[in-house]
Amino acid sequence: MAALLIKNFLRTKGFIFGLLILFLSGLTSLYIGKHFLEKNHEIVKKTAHFQQENIDRYVQNTKEMGSLLYYIRFGLSNQASNLAGLSIGQRDINPAVMSVTIRNLQEQKYNTDLMNPMYQLIGNLDFSFVLLYLFPLIIIAFGFNLVSEEKEEGTWSLVLSQAISPLKMLLIKMGIRYVSVLAVLLLLFFIAKLYLQISFDVAFIAYIVNSLLYVSFWFCAVWLVVSFHKNSSQNALILLTSWVLLTIVIPASVNAAIVHLYPAPEAFSTVLESRDGYHTKWDKPKEPTIQKFYQRYPQFAQFKHPDEADYSTLWYYAMQQAGDDEAATQANALKEKLRKRDALSTTIGLVIPTIHTQLMLNSLSLSDMRNYLNFNEKLQEFHERKKLYFFPKMFSNVPILQENWKIFPLEYFQDKADVQWLRAILPLLIISMLCVLWAQKNFIKNNTLNRHL
Amino acid sequence: MLTATNLTKKYGENTALNSLNLNIEPGEIFALLGQNGAGKTTTINCFLGFIEPSSGTANINGVSVKDHALETKKHLAYIPETVMLYPNLTGVENLEFFSSLAGFSYSKEELTSFLSKAGLQSTAHQQRVGGYSKGMRQKVGIAIAIAKKAKALLLDEPTSGLDPKASNEFSEILKELSANGTAILMATHDIFRAKEVANRIGIMKEGNLVSIINAKDISANELEQLYLQTV
Repeated sequence: MAALLIKNFLRTKGFIFGLLILFLSGLTSLYIGKHFLEKNHEIVKKTAHFQQENIDRYVQNTKEMGSLLYYIRFGLSNQASNLAGLSIGQRDINPAVMSVTIRNLQEQKYNTDLMNPMYQLIGNLDFSFVLLYLFPLIIIAFGFNLVSEEKEEGTWSLVLSQAISPLKMLLIKMGIRYVSVLAVLLLLFFIAKLYLQISFDVAFIAYIVNSLLYVSFWFCAVWLVVSFHKNSSQNALILLTSWVLLTIVIPASVNAAIVHLYPAPEAFSTVLESRDGYHTKWDKPKEPTIQKFYQRYPQFAQFKHPDEADYSTLWYYAMQQAGDDEAATQANALKEKLRKRDALSTTIGLVIPTIHTQLMLNSLSLSDMRNYLNFNEKLQEFHERKKLYFFPKMFSNVPILQENWKIFPLEYFQDKADVQWLRAILPLLIISMLCVLWAQKNFIKNNTLNRHL
Repeated sequence: MLTATNLTKKYGENTALNSLNLNIEPGEIFALLGQNGAGKTTTINCFLGFIEPSSGTANINGVSVKDHALETKKHLAYIPETVMLYPNLTGVENLEFFSSLAGFSYSKEELTSFLSKAGLQSTAHQQRVGGYSKGMRQKVGIAIAIAKKAKALLLDEPTSGLDPKASNEFSEILKELSANGTAILMATHDIFRAKEVANRIGIMKEGNLVSIINAKDISANELEQLYLQTV
């Protein structure tokens, strides 16, 4: 029976066409991912090169350590995982490299807008788009008339009169569709592995498992809908409505709700505060600014501002520090809100398979909000290290050429995917199981399908 | 083999089948005549288990269809009025598929011989059913029924769409099956075929089985007269 059902499947042009569409759009998405990774790599490479070039140029043309460090920038790269070629996520809007001077950090960090309207939506036709949006459509097209086509084509009565278990036949029919779609998915992963040079690590395995479960969820959903024995057009309507809700309406609404719940005007006000923090100091007595700096960094108390002087490196950087310190509350509040947004969408994702899968895939690909926040923390540490290294040298005005300027290359931050198997798998597994159990109840209720003509 | 006891099916106010009592012995061919809507198909569907009777029972080989649908189905073969098959599969493949549904596994030679016996020209065996005429599909349906080797055969106007020669061959097949002990219930509009092939003939009207005649006691013309008077 299975062999003939496979034959029937393979001889139906629509199915082969559907599988081909999936495969080709998958290939296109891999090409886009490859392009993204190469561009990203290029940016990092160029930044590394120009950073050194930039330092060398200023070292030659600047006299004082203080003014040199006003200009030169030190970069920290947020290293992309090659999995980001599959899920570009937020990496197309968050910078791959941040290059900062040792002046105040907050202004440099938040000069760009932080609002991400596409938080739950997908911008690129990357692999995760193909998986989240196109795979379900093809799965729906393959399965919506699993039973109803038999009824509408007139074969069902003969099937019922012959079959010891019509349910078994339906399971095999569904199984063939499932395996064929899975085969395309696994083939795409195989090609992606080679083409995007993804290392076969736990993150990639988790990525594959999550994708398989997502595809399985849609098959279970289709199985549930066909178990109601409605006609083809009703099934198509129900499934397409579910698709629109799950892939577009719910994620967009959740996004809007989260943004509303945790508004983030702090990005803007942090920049203002931090700018005011030091700009206003120009016109104020210098002593309080310097005293605050001593409080913050007692180890630099030995360095003094020359009495009555209009300007000193110590005072200038104390003023910059004041900018960061005064914006610190705002900056932390922003970080906190972004973490809360992330946590809430993760929680909502537990019951919405599309949101869950997308967040999981982006998280495994290090292209999510959490990675961006982690990177920002590292950037702060990086900035602090550079300050602590250069402050004493600037304040004691060490001659520029005494310093070896070849030891400040681009630095790299390598985030690590946090694979929580239960959290990744359980939500999809439970929802799929519920669909199957409900379908089973329907099939049993219909008395082994016999009464349904 | 096929027994209906006070078998009744109501759809709301409308009685499709009213207290049918009928017993068809192994090897007997029983033809049901009647206008459209007289209750012939309802009777067959009750035996198939496709519809649940409002009251009364349909038994096959002594087993209630309502309570043991899977068990009774094993003893039944069925040819619908219009046999619909999978257009992407060939005649042989369709026969193989439907036989496998019933749990049979036949060799290619056996499958071919069933199709030939059902009268399907051998050139069509390996062609896809999408290109078949209604009559050709009907013959595959007959082959499917023969291949099931069932104790009881239910036929819902099986010869509609068959040319006279094919209908005649079909009658021969039915006689052969009944000689081997198969109980056959056939709903038909073909009075002459009914007289030709059946042992007993029942005439239905508005859900009631109004008369049962032994086929050998009546000529085709008399049967036609009786039929016209009844309905």
